[in-house]
Amino acid sequence: MRTLFDLPFEEPEPETSGLTPRVPQVPNAPPPDAPPPDNQGSSPATPAPGVRAASARQILSVSELTANLREVLETTFPEVWVEGELSNAKVWTTGHLYFTLKGGGSQVKGVMFRSALRYLKFKPEDGLHVVARGRISVYDPKGEYQLVGEHMEPHGFGALQLAFEQLKKKLAAEGLFDVSRKRQLPALPRRVGIVTSIDGAALRDIVRVLRRRYPNAHLVIAPARVQGDDAAGEIVRALRQIARIDGVDVVIVGRGGGSLEDLWAFNEEKVARAIAACPVPVISAVGHETDVTIADFVADLRAATPSAAAELVVRRKDDFCHFIDRLGGRLDAAMRGRVSRLGSRLNAFLARPGYAGQRGRLAMRGRHVAELSSTLRHAMNGSLSKRTRRHDLLRRALTEFDPRHRLAAVRTRLATRDGQLAHAASRRLHSADAGFKSLAARLDGLSPLSVLARGYAVAWDGSRSRIIRDASTVTPGEEIIVRVERGEIRSTVRSTET
Amino acid sequence: MDSTIKDFEAAIAELEVIVKKLEEGDLPLEKSLELYERGVQLSRFCHARLEDAERRIEILNERGELKPAPASLGLPGDDDH
Repeated sequence: MRTLFDLPFEEPEPETSGLTPRVPQVPNAPPPDAPPPDNQGSSPATPAPGVRAASARQILSVSELTANLREVLETTFPEVWVEGELSNAKVWTTGHLYFTLKGGGSQVKGVMFRSALRYLKFKPEDGLHVVARGRISVYDPKGEYQLVGEHMEPHGFGALQLAFEQLKKKLAAEGLFDVSRKRQLPALPRRVGIVTSIDGAALRDIVRVLRRRYPNAHLVIAPARVQGDDAAGEIVRALRQIARIDGVDVVIVGRGGGSLEDLWAFNEEKVARAIAACPVPVISAVGHETDVTIADFVADLRAATPSAAAELVVRRKDDFCHFIDRLGGRLDAAMRGRVSRLGSRLNAFLARPGYAGQRGRLAMRGRHVAELSSTLRHAMNGSLSKRTRRHDLLRRALTEFDPRHRLAAVRTRLATRDGQLAHAASRRLHSADAGFKSLAARLDGLSPLSVLARGYAVAWDGSRSRIIRDASTVTPGEEIIVRVERGEIRSTVRSTET
Repeated sequence: MDSTIKDFEAAIAELEVIVKKLEEGDLPLEKSLELYERGVQLSRFCHARLEDAERRIEILNERGELKPAPASLGLPGDDDH
């Protein structure tokens, strides 16, 4: 016990650090009249060497006295619990903690060796009210008694709770919890990384929810123990590994519910730092709704439970489809409006006085065109069956209409893509997604592409650099290109009329 | 996939911009058609991406290798939903 005690007892004060080791002193011969020592009976242990039982006046050397005191103190206080306020707490380079406990105007110095210190979950700091367990011993070079602490816990506050608060404060001060650090989750993750126990309920919950919301989700699991001494290390390793997997662009890390001790790994500093260092966004999902861990603060997003994390990581596939379909619908509507306005312009054109001279010749055609453009507008707004019916009407009307003479130009660059789109649309029709089916159907039915199919044509100038909107912009003899549903007609302008 | 489309997010964002532009302005017809065409392309891309992901569960082993999750794990599978 004595060697154990002496060995690690470093001198904290620099000015005394150069002291030579304690040298046992040879006691002087006591005077013959020294009284017999009266402490013989009260000392439960063998008297310290050098104590002359026979002398009448017992003179002790300093070291003898110190040794005696040590003996008394160590045997009287082999284990005590002391409550007080920590001050001068400092861990020295040796790894041992030196401190003073204060209370009620008194104080006692104390030491806690590295071997005991490493079991403390919290960091002993000045001002903390603690309860320390240990034995009393003596530090010979200074003649001081000290508490040699074996364990310490915060008074009136769980050690884990305190450690939590301490780490939270520290990491917050470093800015690890800053909102500006939080990253956006990908809208549609390519692969979802999951760090949790391979046999835990959390994994099952996550997989079940993801399967339901997004059936073809690709999941990558990095197993890690989430409880016990190795847990933190395993979680850190799993986080590092999974972030390196190609395509993993979001990670869920967590476990199911448990006691504060069970969840402790998620309150450890290295786990917090690994989450912060993860190159892709991390969702924490630890325990139940009421459990809050340090990992939750560092993560880009905190989920109340593992199931909730799975819900946060990806929207329902159906929602996506509907969202895109709505955009597609608006796209169509906008384009339809554009085409409809063109139709009105065509009507206006047909009603122009310059056109009247040709009325006789073109009366029939004019009527057809007018009917046709209003039909076009209505068809686009009407129901599918109506549209189909009018479509037929329109087709018939257009067959009679000669595009080379009075071109009602609904121009489209999409013309060449007509086949492709129709193909894509029909392929889409076979896709399992009902939402998309309707989009594809609408695209096919409403696309300006179908305008060409209905018999309209587009006239380009010879170099195909300009669409001809105005007959006066071409001159007789000039070559123009007329694009129809299937193929092109190279034509030469004979005459123009406006 | 189309090299002019970066990813799903970018596609959605661009599609939204295109729809707004088409809805707002009386753009020249060529421009409208160009945007429309692009819009169709983007919406097609998004739907393709939704179908894209492989329905798979993989496990990382100690050596950092990906292995298919063994059925013995009893993870919720195809018939679970």
